[in-house]
Amino acid sequence: MNQPLQSIRSASVDWRMVLMAGVLVAISLIFNAFSDGIFLSPENLYNIAQQTAVVGILATVMVLVIVARHIDLSVGSVMGFVGVLIATLMYSANWSWPAASLAGLAAAILVAMYQGSLTAVVGVPSFVVTLGGLMSFRGAAFLVADGRTQPVTDPFFLRLGGGIDGAIGATASWVLGVLMCLALALTMMGRRRARQRYGVPTNALGIDILMVAVPCAIVLGFVATMNAYQIPNKDAPQGIPVPVLIWIAVALCMSFLVHRTRFGRYVFAMGGNPDAAALVGIPVRRVTLQLFVLLAVLTTIAAIVSIARLNAGTNSLGNNMELLVIAATVIGGTALAGGSGSILGSVLGALIMQSIDSGMLLLDVPIGWRYVIIGQVLIVAVVFDVLYRRWSGDTP
Amino acid sequence: MNAPRQAVDPTRCLVELRNIRKAFGGVHAVDDVSLNLYPGEVVAVLGHNGAGKSTLMKMLAGAYPIDSGEVVITGEKVQVRTPSDAQRLGIESIYQTLALADNLDAVANLFLGRELLTRWRTLDDHRMDADARKVFHRLNKNFTNVRTPVRRLSGGQRQVVAISRAIYFNARILIMDEPTAALGPEETAMVADLVRQLKADGVGIFLISHDMHDVFALSDRLAVMKNGRLVGTYRTQDVTEDEVLGMIIVGKQPAGKSQAERPAR
Repeated sequence: MNQPLQSIRSASVDWRMVLMAGVLVAISLIFNAFSDGIFLSPENLYNIAQQTAVVGILATVMVLVIVARHIDLSVGSVMGFVGVLIATLMYSANWSWPAASLAGLAAAILVAMYQGSLTAVVGVPSFVVTLGGLMSFRGAAFLVADGRTQPVTDPFFLRLGGGIDGAIGATASWVLGVLMCLALALTMMGRRRARQRYGVPTNALGIDILMVAVPCAIVLGFVATMNAYQIPNKDAPQGIPVPVLIWIAVALCMSFLVHRTRFGRYVFAMGGNPDAAALVGIPVRRVTLQLFVLLAVLTTIAAIVSIARLNAGTNSLGNNMELLVIAATVIGGTALAGGSGSILGSVLGALIMQSIDSGMLLLDVPIGWRYVIIGQVLIVAVVFDVLYRRWSGDTP
Repeated sequence: MNAPRQAVDPTRCLVELRNIRKAFGGVHAVDDVSLNLYPGEVVAVLGHNGAGKSTLMKMLAGAYPIDSGEVVITGEKVQVRTPSDAQRLGIESIYQTLALADNLDAVANLFLGRELLTRWRTLDDHRMDADARKVFHRLNKNFTNVRTPVRRLSGGQRQVVAISRAIYFNARILIMDEPTAALGPEETAMVADLVRQLKADGVGIFLISHDMHDVFALSDRLAVMKNGRLVGTYRTQDVTEDEVLGMIIVGKQPAGKSQAERPAR
């Protein structure tokens, strides 16, 4: 085998992610062609990014839940419950938004401790615990405000959901984009230096440069697109929407947890072989509880973004959200059998799902057909997953 | 590597299991078993499937709680409640099923549960990578794909990962449950060499095996269990293969042979 091909094969490139990114690009180009260039317009891309944020935020943590061989069917209901609670505290009880949000977080953590201990300590399958939660917390979302819609009016809080003033502007967007590129480059340099110091083989320099350059191009392209969108009656372009910024921050934090901490390592070990995890002394119960608490934190963040986006908390908030979140996670390459999945995959999965949905909306596909097609996209993703694992020899 | 192994006094008992009992429901899996292990000694633990040998060893490794009885390590009574307790006492185990997380790579598996951390409490991947390569290299010079998930490795390479745990973390007491069951002849020889090497370093080894050749080639003493009870403990050189099989199958102590509480010196 010749030298460059050898180094490409041995480099730690996740081909699956590359392929998924390719699928996303292909979908976009197809919809763009059929919609006469509307699909890839800055306005549409801005809206897709913003609409995907809530599902995307929850999908990052659903990856870990499914990797650990659990599932959370109650995530939409709990989000609804927490969202209505926060909105009610602000509107009916006149709490400030930070106090109301913290109270929502506390409620979410209580829910997580309850469902988490049933799963981790008592040993009830999480499927059953959260199936009960799916119904109970939908009911609780109704009970909090007696079914009445709770408007949200705090101007700062509303920006968290995006909307007209919910973006950070062009300058800040460029600064953030450049900082992210710098961080990518510095991380890669640090990794190369550390590997050389310990005498561990490094990737070929060209590959590493490519692995920094491509993500940097994507980041800067994204910033340029967001900056190209200007709402007609405003005098400045929008820049990155706040919900998308929150999603990016969440995805970065979750990636950090997965790759750089014991917690992330243990979640994957528990999913790969629960018996081995226990035999080597991993505190399985504690890690499971921590996972549920992490889920609670992100559910609260998603609830805040949702009510800010809708300008209100209603008892139907987050209806069917669990299905979209699980679908995005699975389309993103997380195996329901546990043990494998990635945060970046969930981001791509959420984007693919939302792109197909908005693309069909642009093409005036009726709602019935949209559901039929999205459902089958999920099936295609799982079939692909099965075939890919068989081909790469990853079937256990 | 970690701190150098402490000097060991070969005449001082390393592990004393005293009157250990364990019941699952109404079944006495381990019933009043006492067994010793000295430094630099290999004690084979034999018996049919379900005789209680694996259960006994899992109790010593902290994987199952002990119902009653005492564990004494170098003269000190200890509580082994969790696998972490056992690891702190220098007890390492190599299980038949290897206890590897198949989706993680060899480096992650070596350090699983005991990851090296940086100053900021994050995983020190590069140090783990470098250290792991050294240990793997010592056991198998051709083992370089340390960053692929272990499910794609051969049986021998997976065994290398499992054994590396015992070496890297300086085991004083090693439990090997069927360590050669899934291996080819070359890899079996590698394990045998390693056992001899660890013995010379003063490590005490409990060896669970069905392979009579391994037992007679490697062990100093052998203990036979049947239906949760200890049939007897003998010096390996004092008994024949037929006598051992007699103990395993019908639980009959061989006539005219004296039991041995400690190795010959």
